[in-house]
Amino acid sequence: MRPFKLPPQILRLILLTLGIVGSYLVARAMLTPPSFHEYGWYRGEALEELSARTPVFAGKKACEECHSDILQKLGQFEHKTLSCEACHGVSREHADNNDILPVKLTGSHCLRCHEANPSRPKWFKQIVVREHYTGKCSECHVPHAPNQTP
Amino acid sequence: MKQQFSRRSVLARIGAAMAGLLAAPAARAAKTAVQKVFVSSGAAKGYDVMKHKWLMCVDANKCIGCGLCAEACKKENNVPEGPYFRTWIERYVIPKPKPGSGETRGEPIVDSPNGGMHGFPPAAIPPSEIEHSFFVPKLCNLCEHSPCTQVCPVGATFDAPDGAVLIDPKYCIGCGFCIQACPYGCRFLNPFTKTAEKCTLCYHRITRGLKPACVEICPTQARIFGDLNNPVPDDPLQKFCDQNLVQVLKPHLGTEPRVLYAGLDKEVR
Amino acid sequence: MNEVTNLVFEVLPKFEGYAYPNEAGPHPLWGFLIVLYPYITGLVAGAFIMASLVRVFNVKALEPTYRLAMLTALSFLVCAPLPLLFHLGHPERCYEIMMTPHFTSPMAMFGFVYAWYLMAVLLLELWFDYRQDLVEWSHTTPGFKGIIYRLFTLGVTDESAEALKLDMKLGWIISIIGIPSAFLLHGYVGFIFGSVKANPWWGNVLMPIIFILSAVVSGIALCVFNYMVLTWIRRHTVDMRCLDTMAMFLFYALVVDAAVEGLDWIHRVYAAEEGFSVLRTMIREKLFYTLNLGQATVGTLVPLLLLGSLQLLRRRVPELVRRRMIFSCGVMILLGVLAMRWNVVIGGQLFSKSLRGVMGYKIQFAGVEGWLMGLVLLVLPFIILSVLVKLFLSERLPSSGHTPQDAVAADV
Repeated sequence: MRPFKLPPQILRLILLTLGIVGSYLVARAMLTPPSFHEYGWYRGEALEELSARTPVFAGKKACEECHSDILQKLGQFEHKTLSCEACHGVSREHADNNDILPVKLTGSHCLRCHEANPSRPKWFKQIVVREHYTGKCSECHVPHAPNQTP
Repeated sequence: MKQQFSRRSVLARIGAAMAGLLAAPAARAAKTAVQKVFVSSGAAKGYDVMKHKWLMCVDANKCIGCGLCAEACKKENNVPEGPYFRTWIERYVIPKPKPGSGETRGEPIVDSPNGGMHGFPPAAIPPSEIEHSFFVPKLCNLCEHSPCTQVCPVGATFDAPDGAVLIDPKYCIGCGFCIQACPYGCRFLNPFTKTAEKCTLCYHRITRGLKPACVEICPTQARIFGDLNNPVPDDPLQKFCDQNLVQVLKPHLGTEPRVLYAGLDKEVR
Repeated sequence: MNEVTNLVFEVLPKFEGYAYPNEAGPHPLWGFLIVLYPYITGLVAGAFIMASLVRVFNVKALEPTYRLAMLTALSFLVCAPLPLLFHLGHPERCYEIMMTPHFTSPMAMFGFVYAWYLMAVLLLELWFDYRQDLVEWSHTTPGFKGIIYRLFTLGVTDESAEALKLDMKLGWIISIIGIPSAFLLHGYVGFIFGSVKANPWWGNVLMPIIFILSAVVSGIALCVFNYMVLTWIRRHTVDMRCLDTMAMFLFYALVVDAAVEGLDWIHRVYAAEEGFSVLRTMIREKLFYTLNLGQATVGTLVPLLLLGSLQLLRRRVPELVRRRMIFSCGVMILLGVLAMRWNVVIGGQLFSKSLRGVMGYKIQFAGVEGWLMGLVLLVLPFIILSVLVKLFLSERLPSSGHTPQDAVAADV
């Protein structure tokens, strides 16, 4: 019986193909990150890595631990929707270590929100500085209780 | 060198090749060795990604254009200075129509100087000529059928099971396809990491029970954030959805954005 | 005074009108490198289609250019991944596209389509065509060159009639498979742009078709260019039957391409969808020269007229004039198709997705996205081609069966 004669070109090409495909599959098995496909077509570890970042802002709840009285007062008046850090800046270091002080409020800080601007909604309290008062805002307004006078 | 390949020798060669490929123990050892170089291990967290469904909505009626949110976002997420914004505010100024022109309004003027992060200068036209003007905060629209995750060639950007659309900075190759595909312009290429970047809903904050920095800092609660699967008592997100008729941006593109906007005008794209 | 007005506002002057803040970068995200990639793969696909006219459709007139076209396709294909690699933010992670290809992304096809086309189509077809020559050359050529030939025989030295017949048959099969593969190689790039619904300049269904058609046109033009340059360098006569046939295919391909591009333009103007006004502004102000002069006039209208007149007048035009006309059309079309790639890729980023602003872009000289780098990447395939020609095409080009009317040395 004649042995089955595979043409030499075909054989070489089959071997080459198997070699290439084989090495691709091996590479793929080795180089695909282990947590891939955990939740979908991405590295499952990425979720943990992204949540491992340290937050910068402390958040209003962190202030409540020590300043609950101020927050209680704040909650009664117009500024109740404000977070402490909106005015006092990033205060995480202060929350961790009381010796580090948060940003002190300056007089002109109020104008960031309350300067009159035709694009601001009509219900929002806005003032035109030169018509209102050119001195310090805190002479007549209490930031934590804006309806009250000092 | 001429050879006659008999069936036996062919099968023997193929068999040898297969055995080499299937050398499992050796391959596994090699795999872990190689992957110590290519892949890093993340830290375990006590957060169950399957239990939450985060959403942020926007009430443009309440936005005062102070820009504290854009500024806070840059600080919180270490976003580079320059035209790189994970969130920004747009101002729309719609002038009164020219008398006798037969139009309902003039040409809208839209601007976002530095993303609005230092507030807004006076408008280009005096208040007497303005018919309407308002601010619109913009961010990732958390699309149900996000075109950005669809086009990522390697699986570096994805829809997390808890509703955030995230980017894996260790896997992104920086091709920029997702940035081109986002219809809302919310992605950019970080010039330092050379990877794509976008709003992550401050993923590192919300997984710890904090609020995103922009929501935290917004003085008028124009940004409403919540967990659709775990509403808190008096949940602001539930209230927002109950009380407002809403729109989404570019609905005709079929991206099914989940971020709902109240108070939009037809000029907002 | 007022803290708000005292702050320096970073004016982003790049855009006229409004752009989303993330769009206001100094230069488009996808620059000249991404213009070059579809240009190069288009040349590959087009040159291959022209070569397959010989093998599959038996156009004997083009026989002189068969091997040259295949080697052209190979030298350009080898250079094709370079612009992509240089453009990536993390080229060292490029392997990811083959390890975890995200199948919903057309870009993920790149690794497989490229590998398939390079190995299973181009190299394989070349191997079957060259195998007999490689075996002979490996016996007769001394030194390093001889080693190269022996390597490429893959150890198969069978020169029997049976083996050669098998070579021809398999080569023909590969050619047939190669035609849709070539369309896939370049069509997927068109689809990358055509699938971006966020961008009204890119996202439309005609985009992959236009890409493929202009690729075929540019590939034939490149073959015309290479053939004439090679015969000129070697001081041989140009086979006019071959050249006239190439010009004929070039003309008809250009007609189809111009028709479909014209359809795209007409549809945009007629339907005038939401993005139309900003696109019109962008074209008028920012793409005026590259579109109207580069793509439309130099790249399409003038070659259509010249080649069309050649089809009408044919042999009435003297040979020398025909050669000059065809060569200049080839060069014009090559430039025009490059302009078309520029208009698509760069044009798509010269307006804001808010549809309210346009910006201009002046390409820089230096840098990865500069035109010096672009020039290098365009010259490199020709350098590789000259090496390939020296190794694999040193013999005289075959005849198409044409008898030259006057035996004058080739004159461009």
